[in-house]
Amino acid sequence: MTVSLAAFIFAAGAVAGALGIVLGLGGGIFLVPFLTLVLGFPVKSAAAISLATVIATSSAAAAARAGNHLMNLRLGMLLEVATAAGSLLGGITAQIVAESTLQRIFGVVAILVAAVMLARVNRRNVINDPRADPGRLGDRFYDAESGAVVTYRIKRLPLALAASFVAGNLSSLLGIGGGVIKVPVLNAWCGMPLRAAAATSALMIGVTATGGAIIYYGRGDLQPLIAAPAVLGVQFGSWAGLRLAEHASAKWLKLLMVTILVIVGGLMLVRSLR
Amino acid sequence: MKLNDRGSSALELTIGRVLRLGVGASSVLLGAGLLLALIHEADGVAKIVLTTAIVVLLATPAARVAISVVEYVRERDWLFVALTLIVLLTLAGSVVVAFWMPGS
Repeated sequence: MTVSLAAFIFAAGAVAGALGIVLGLGGGIFLVPFLTLVLGFPVKSAAAISLATVIATSSAAAAARAGNHLMNLRLGMLLEVATAAGSLLGGITAQIVAESTLQRIFGVVAILVAAVMLARVNRRNVINDPRADPGRLGDRFYDAESGAVVTYRIKRLPLALAASFVAGNLSSLLGIGGGVIKVPVLNAWCGMPLRAAAATSALMIGVTATGGAIIYYGRGDLQPLIAAPAVLGVQFGSWAGLRLAEHASAKWLKLLMVTILVIVGGLMLVRSLR
Repeated sequence: MKLNDRGSSALELTIGRVLRLGVGASSVLLGAGLLLALIHEADGVAKIVLTTAIVVLLATPAARVAISVVEYVRERDWLFVALTLIVLLTLAGSVVVAFWMPGS
């Protein structure tokens, strides 16, 4: 490992982390293609390194939100059963399938994520009566935007479980957090306000990414020396991104990212055919 | 008005503390290990420090789940004791696959 390679990986991690936090995605969807397309790592190694960064950033994000009741612990721990099972199966699958298959799946998922970003649903699922019953799995929290305590109920639990399973599976397979699948589903179909869905998803992602990362580590795909600058870079990037986020034009940023994701997805697909 | 009537506020704060501690410790170790590796003075030490850093990082979310199990036992919330135990066992399954699954 040379100083310049370490600096290069750190910088890539920082860019991925900043983009991730500004857009509310993890950085993994940007870091994995960088490591494979630019530095020539196999998808498995790139995914393993990316999962290490995902554990660090999602845990830091969850820790920062602890105490303001945005995290729905009970729902999170219930959905974790599905997401952990998904990540275990995904980790096993990644050991079996061919490199080109992983590239193809990544390409398709990146393009689908771009489509989801384009059509990002932003419905507010709150009941403004503080005495309303949140039900068995719902919750209430203080919403700074409306300045009141809001309540929500969870609908379509089987769908939330299924989305968590798929998210866990893709997380291990591709080295992404999987929030990009869970958050829109929880928000659009299961009744969760966006910020509560994002906080709960961040909590779950730590466990999801760990299930996959352990498998990669034991198999020798997670090289600590390469993970180190990546993890530190992504953490620096998300810290910086939080400060940049206030000034950035969300709409143009989203369009830029959609473009990048489509290009990256396309490149992965092209490479898988070779 | 109490925001959460299920007593899990304390758990939320404990979880926050565990996650912050784990990520902080592993980041410091990653930084130290990376520096050692880059100056090539003590490659053996660098390797040990970096490996420890990764193990601490991987153990952090698992520790969070383990603490949740204990807390739900104290609250006698048996459904959630069972759910969090299943998650912990699934992570143990990852360890088994990682180190004992044949070939690849």
